[in-house]
Amino acid sequence: MKENKETVNIAFLGLGGQGIITLAKMIATSALDTGKKVCYNEIHGLSQRGGSVQSFLRLNEESSPLFASSDVDIVVGLEKMETLRYLYGIKEQKPKVILLDYFEIRNTNYFGLEVFPEEEEIDKEIKERAEELYIFDRENFKKQFKGNFIPYNVGIFSALTTFEELGITEEIGEKIVKKLLGKNILLSQVNKKAFKEGKKWIKKI
Amino acid sequence: MSVKRKNKIDNGIAETEEALFMGNHAVVQGLLEAGVGFTAAYPGTPSTEIQVRLAKLHEKGQLYFEYSVNEKVAFEVSAAAALSGVRSAVIMKHVGVNVASDAMMALAYFGVQGGMVIVAVDDPGCQSSQNEQDSRFWGKFAHIPVFEPSTPQEIRDFIPKIYDLSEKYNMLCMLRMTNFTSLSTGIVKHRPVEEKLSWNGEFVREIKYQIPARYLLHKGLHKSLKELVKDPLFDEFISLKESSSSSERLIITHGAIYPIVEYMAELYNFDGDILKIGAIFPLNEEKIAEIVKKYKYVYFVEELEPYLETEILAIIGRYNLNVTVLGKEKLQIPYENSLRPDALKEAFSRIVADPNDDSVFYEIPDPSPLPKIFDSEELLIPRTLPRLCDGCSHRGAFYSIKKATGEDFIIPSDIGCYALGQVQPVDVGDYWLCMGGGLGTALGMSKVNGKKVIAIIGDGTFFHAGMPALLDAVEYNHNITLAILDNSLTAMTGGQPSPSSTTWKRKDFNPINLEEVVKGLGVKWIKSVQAINVKENVKIVKEALEYQGPSVLIFKGECIVNKLRNMKTPVKPLSIDQELCTRCGNCLIDFACPSIVKEDGRIIIKQDTCTGCGYCAMVCPVNAIK
Repeated sequence: MKENKETVNIAFLGLGGQGIITLAKMIATSALDTGKKVCYNEIHGLSQRGGSVQSFLRLNEESSPLFASSDVDIVVGLEKMETLRYLYGIKEQKPKVILLDYFEIRNTNYFGLEVFPEEEEIDKEIKERAEELYIFDRENFKKQFKGNFIPYNVGIFSALTTFEELGITEEIGEKIVKKLLGKNILLSQVNKKAFKEGKKWIKKI
Repeated sequence: MSVKRKNKIDNGIAETEEALFMGNHAVVQGLLEAGVGFTAAYPGTPSTEIQVRLAKLHEKGQLYFEYSVNEKVAFEVSAAAALSGVRSAVIMKHVGVNVASDAMMALAYFGVQGGMVIVAVDDPGCQSSQNEQDSRFWGKFAHIPVFEPSTPQEIRDFIPKIYDLSEKYNMLCMLRMTNFTSLSTGIVKHRPVEEKLSWNGEFVREIKYQIPARYLLHKGLHKSLKELVKDPLFDEFISLKESSSSSERLIITHGAIYPIVEYMAELYNFDGDILKIGAIFPLNEEKIAEIVKKYKYVYFVEELEPYLETEILAIIGRYNLNVTVLGKEKLQIPYENSLRPDALKEAFSRIVADPNDDSVFYEIPDPSPLPKIFDSEELLIPRTLPRLCDGCSHRGAFYSIKKATGEDFIIPSDIGCYALGQVQPVDVGDYWLCMGGGLGTALGMSKVNGKKVIAIIGDGTFFHAGMPALLDAVEYNHNITLAILDNSLTAMTGGQPSPSSTTWKRKDFNPINLEEVVKGLGVKWIKSVQAINVKENVKIVKEALEYQGPSVLIFKGECIVNKLRNMKTPVKPLSIDQELCTRCGNCLIDFACPSIVKEDGRIIIKQDTCTGCGYCAMVCPVNAIK
């Protein structure tokens, strides 16, 4: 395990509307709160919803938030196909992968596309390319909530506090969720709950 | 002329707080600390967050901000402030500068009384733009100093200094950023600014604004540029990072990608020095020559065009320096796309190699490209294409247009969310050129191809640059139909107000009536419909197309993202009654909402993404969607 002082490079991958940027912001704010250096970057395209979104974050580093894919330590994927696309770019080593168990069924009529990867195939490929694979149990996490609003990103943030190299304690995590997502009284209750629940649903495969 | 300074200014010396700022927010912080009281903009990603924050500060009464109708107007209102002694800023994306440039080129000749900065944010990689032009070139073209920061901290530090120089030399300046600098977040030391910044000024007539012999102002401009480069403050925009050992090698790079270059240099154990140029124009020739002459090998690492390479090669020539230059071609640095670390691997393996070993510098042939729709060969991973949101009202308009036009029509589209209608499977729209370019080209398309053409535009883009083209259509009776997809919002940039926004609450804002504007431009055939009535609208589109001459059809429908944002009750997703569904594919293929998918031979609605908008229910021929 790396010492806490060393740089930790994290890639967040997913789709527009999943809260990727907010997730990176939560990590960065926690880092600042504990007196660490941190920087991150967001890359997104044209669409409000559904387009590819990536965010890259570096702990204990303050100049370039972008890093070479060969230098990534942790890959946090909120959608399987987006995650595999990034993993394909890494030839040199295998990173630690934390993955939301979510595969977006796309409209297969895109360009009359018949060759469309099956979820099982993607699962297999991701597993092969990860040094350690942790799955966030989306279905069971979802069951803990009544409404339509389910903050998976907060759940993943909670799960990430269990990884020592990030150096985020439960206490800080809770404080950050309240600070960043506490404005709307109704939603803040859901976010609070998501933070409480999240860490229960991460499992090493 | 002396200017009475009302706003407190410090030069970014006092730092009392640390916070996380994204580049765009660091711009606002810099403007506040520089005492800028007057700001204007037209929404454009990647610069949008600057504007959203300025709009909030206006609401608080801290400074003046307006979303102008287009970049040219935004530039002009800000220019007036600067001519009246008020520090002003105008914010736009790179292509916005094209629109503003008519005024910009001329204001450069006038010069400014209060400092003025045009913030231009480039979009290498065209993540949300029609091109990836390199704004660094404006400096030389317009004779305006151009500065390029590299980190959020540097953005905040640069801005007050730029205003000082702008005022001292009466020059309009440009702050050039890219999507990387704009959207990178870092810790920024700053001084929080709470006080109100005044935007009251006084215009003083000067003979130089009036005289016809403008070439004299051009002469003065060159004189000012020569003085500016000698200013000690100007030197602070250039820095040299020296390695511990004395080296023969120097990398020259620019602000926007400096952090990435610095990172790569470390990754590849580069043992030389790195020169970071944050003042792109004018270049301090003497200083650069003095630095460059100490090295044997000079490497240029630049994103987009080899601007510095060309300029500094000329300096090397003028000063007769004996150095070997390795640039874009030798290092195989792509001209296109944003330079992320992975894109610089080849370049750095060449930089650290023996510069005299020719075998290192072979040309790499282009790899055989994958079919356009795939990103990777290993398992065919389809590209995630941008798409209209689940529940977007535009999809209803596109459905009606698609059913009414069939294959036979030329359909120019324009810049905004509705440009995504061109992406399959929606597939409505043949091209997008520039703001308002769809309608403009539609006029010529109809004339030359000898048939009716239907152009698509949004409300924001129509006000921005569509009105003159529509006037032209009326003037020459061009045989076109204009479909205005009106969601009363600048939606693609995240939901800023457009001139017709009725929901924007601001005391001095008067929403514009779109129909009246169209009528006022002389259009005789105008109809306004609700986009959700997809079937009836097919007939109305046909009527509009049958009309000989310009006809305008306005589709009204609220932006779903905005609607969801303001919704008080939970979303009620729809579902398909499998007993009734005939699997005709109308909703799946022609309407093509991403929430409607095929699963095990059935067509279903994804319950966690459906927004309950109800459009697909209107599309279904057997009323199976409820």
